Amino acid sequence: MQDTLANIKRGEKYIITDVSASQIPLKLLEMGCLPGNEVELVQVAPFQDPLYLNINGSHLAIRKETAIHILIEKINE
Amino acid sequence: MSKQINVALIGNPNTGKTSVFNALTGLNQKVGNYPGITVEKKEGICKLPRGVKAHIIDLPGTYSLNASSLDENVVIELLLNKNDKDFPDVAVVVSDVENLKRNLLLFTQIKDLEIPTLLVINMADRMEYKGISLDIEYLEEHLQTKIALISTRKKQGIDNLKQLIANYKDLSITPCLNASEIDKNYFDSLRKAFPNQLLYKLWLVITQDVNFGKTDRKTIDAVADFKTKSNTDLKRLQQKETIKRYQFINNVLKKGQNIDVSQAKDLRTKLDRVITHKIWGYLIFFAILLLIFQAIYDWSSVPMDYIDSTFASLSEWIKMNLPEGTFTNLLSEGIIPGLGGIVIFIPQIAFLFLFISILEESGYMSRVVFLMDRVMRRFGLSGKSVVPLISGTACAIPAIMATRNIESWKERLITILVTPFTTCSARLPVYLIIISLVIPKGRFLGLSYQALTLMLLYLIGFSAAVGSAYILNKILKIKSRSFFVVEMPNYKLPLFKNVALTVIEKTKSFIFGAGKIILAISILLWVLASYGPGDNFNNAEEIITSQHRDTPLNDDELQQKIASYKLEHSFIGLTGRAIEPAIRPLGYDWKIGIAIVSSFAAREVFVGTLATIYSVGSDDEATIKNRMAAEVNPILGGPLFTFASGISLLLFYAFAMQCMSTLAIVKRETNSWKWPILQLVIMSGFAYVVALMAFQFLK
Amino acid sequence: MNNIIQNILVIASVATALLFLIKKFFWKAPKQKKACDKDNCGCH
Repeated sequence: MQDTLANIKRGEKYIITDVSASQIPLKLLEMGCLPGNEVELVQVAPFQDPLYLNINGSHLAIRKETAIHILIEKINE
Repeated sequence: MSKQINVALIGNPNTGKTSVFNALTGLNQKVGNYPGITVEKKEGICKLPRGVKAHIIDLPGTYSLNASSLDENVVIELLLNKNDKDFPDVAVVVSDVENLKRNLLLFTQIKDLEIPTLLVINMADRMEYKGISLDIEYLEEHLQTKIALISTRKKQGIDNLKQLIANYKDLSITPCLNASEIDKNYFDSLRKAFPNQLLYKLWLVITQDVNFGKTDRKTIDAVADFKTKSNTDLKRLQQKETIKRYQFINNVLKKGQNIDVSQAKDLRTKLDRVITHKIWGYLIFFAILLLIFQAIYDWSSVPMDYIDSTFASLSEWIKMNLPEGTFTNLLSEGIIPGLGGIVIFIPQIAFLFLFISILEESGYMSRVVFLMDRVMRRFGLSGKSVVPLISGTACAIPAIMATRNIESWKERLITILVTPFTTCSARLPVYLIIISLVIPKGRFLGLSYQALTLMLLYLIGFSAAVGSAYILNKILKIKSRSFFVVEMPNYKLPLFKNVALTVIEKTKSFIFGAGKIILAISILLWVLASYGPGDNFNNAEEIITSQHRDTPLNDDELQQKIASYKLEHSFIGLTGRAIEPAIRPLGYDWKIGIAIVSSFAAREVFVGTLATIYSVGSDDEATIKNRMAAEVNPILGGPLFTFASGISLLLFYAFAMQCMSTLAIVKRETNSWKWPILQLVIMSGFAYVVALMAFQFLK
Repeated sequence: MNNIIQNILVIASVATALLFLIKKFFWKAPKQKKACDKDNCGCH
C-alpha cells in the first residue's frame, strides 16, 4: 500500500517507490533519497514537523511540505 | 627551489575534512578569503616524505559537484580551471566510514574530471563499533584509486596518507563509470561539437553556469550544430546521472563493504530521543545557553581584572620612567589604554568561540536546527537561521555568510536583515563594563545578577531579531520556494586540536583585525583630546589659576582642574559639546557621545575611546572601570553612570547598527545598497527611541 | 632635542593611524564592488 513520506510512522521500515522529481531539490536525491532505497523515521520535531529520517544510511531532516512529494511503501517482514 | 605540489581536500560536510587538514598542516595554516568573495579559504603547508612539500587547500564541504551555493561554487571553479595557480595536482576526497555510500557520489564525480584522486576513509576507529568491515583491495580496484584508511581521532594512518599523496603520480585518472550513458545521443553530439574538451567538464558547465577559462555556457549555446536542452530536461538528466552513480556505488559496496547490523551499537538514536525531545530538547538548549553566558561573564572576569590593572600600571610606569614629552604622553594616555581596550576582551572572545566550535563539532548544532525549524518558520525564518543567529553572538559577519545554505531567498534575506540584532562579541566589552558599573553584585540561585543581566541582554537581542523577522515576513512580498534539507551528523566528541585551532584563529583575527582599528582610533582620539583651537585651550592654565586665585587649592587639585578645562576645550571636547543636546535626553554626557560616534565604525571602540578620553583628563593610576565609576554627571551631580543612564546605554547598544563591516557584508550578500541603508536607519532610530524612553522612565 | 624626537614620533604615529583607517574604510570599497558586479555575488 502506497503512502506519502509525510505519513511515515516510527518503528516501521519503508521503501521509497517514487519521487516527483520536479518538486524536490537535487540535493535530496544526492543524499540518497531515490526510489528503491529504504527509509525509516528516527524522530519527529515538536509540532510534528520537520521529520528526522534515516534514508539508506543517511540521516537527514526534511519538512513535511517536501515529504508529500515522495511516495513510500511499507516493508512487511 | 624545492618541489611543491598542490593538494585539494574535498569532501561532504561532517566527514572530518577539517580534522584531516589540521592533522596534515598543524599550525602551518592560514585562513583568508577567495579573491572578491567572502568564502573562507583555508590553506596550509605539509611536509611529505622524500622532501616533497604539499600546499594543501581545504575546500568548502559539498555533497556533490552540482553547486547550490557560493561556497560550493568555489569547489567547481577550482576543479574546472586548469590555469588556476591552486589547481590541484591531486584531489584528496575525504569520506566518513559510516556514510561511505553517500560520500562516494562526490568521489565518482571528481574521478570523471580525470584528476588524480585519492580516497581517504576517515573515522576508521568507529568501524568495529558500527559492525562495518571493508575489502580495501576490492574497493581500490573498482574505484580506480588508492585508499587511505585513517582515524584523525586516534591519529592513525596519517603517515600512510602522506606517503600516498607523495606518490600521487601512481594514481589512475580513469573515471570509474561512464556517466554519458544516461543520454547517448546528447553526449555524442556534445563530443562532436567540442572534441578537445572533457565531456564531464562540458556537462558541468552546461548544468552549472559556471565560468571556466574561455568556455562558458553561452559559448556552448552559441555553437550552431549543437542543440542544448531546456532546464527541465537538464534537471531530469541530472537525476538520471545521480541514480546511475548510486547504482554503480551500490554494486561496488555490495562486495566491498559488509555491515553487520547486529554488531552495531546505536548511541545516536538513544541520544536523539532526549536531545530532540519536545520538552527536554528545549530545556537542554536553554541550559547550554545559560552555561555559555555564565562562562563568558563569570569565569573570564578573573583574567580580565588582571589585564586591566596590568595595563593601568604599565601606563604609570611609562610616565615615571620615560623622558617627559608629547610622545610619552601619547604612549601612556593613547596607545597603552587603547591596547588595553583590545587585550582585555581576549578571555571572553576565546570562551565564546570555544563554546560555538564545540557545539558545531559535536553535531549538536544540527539538532538545534531540527528542533527550531517549525518555531522559526512562524517568524518567516528557517531552522537554519538558528545557526547564523547563534554564531551572530560571535560576530555578525561570518553569521551573515552562514546564511548561504538557507535555500529560500526570502528566508535568507530576512535572516540577513535581523542577524545584526543578536549580541555580537563586539557588544560584550560595552555590556560588561557598564553592567559592572550599574548592576549590583549579588547572586540568585548561584548565578550572579550581573550574569543574569547579560543573559537578559542576549535574550533582548534575540527577541528583537525574531520580532523584526515576523514584521518583515508580513511586509516583504517575495515569492520563493523553500527547500529544507539538513544532514543530521553523528554525535562526536569534539577534537581538542580542532577546537583549539578555531579558538586561536578567531581570537587572532579579533586582535589583529578589530585591534588595529581600535589602536588607530585611540591614537587619533588622543590627538584630538590633547590639542584644541583658540585661547580657551592655549591659555587654560592662566584662566583656571585666575579663577581660583581666592580659593585655597593644593597643586594636585589645580592641575586636575586645568586638565579637565583643557579637555573640554580641545577639538574633541568642542565636537562633543556640539552633539550633546541630541544625547542629553538619553542620560549621556558629551564624553559618552564621543564614544558613541567613534564606535560607529566598530562597537568595541567604545570602551577604548572612554579609556583614552578619561586618561587624558586625569593622571593618577586607575583602571578603566574605576575611572568610569568616578565620572560625575556635569549637570545633575552624582555619578554619571547610574542605573538609568546605564540601562539606557545598554539598550542603545543592543539595538543600534554600529558596525561598518556588517553593513559592507550585507551590501555584498544582498547585492544592493537598499538593505544595509534600511538596516542602519531603522535599527539606529529604534535604538535612540528605546534608550530615550528607558532613561526618562527610570531616572 | 628630546622634544623634537618626541614630536616627530607623535606625528609619525598619527600619520600611520590616519593612513591605516583611510585605507581600511575608504580605499577598499570600490574594489569590492567590482568583484560583485560580475557574477551577481551568487545571489538570486
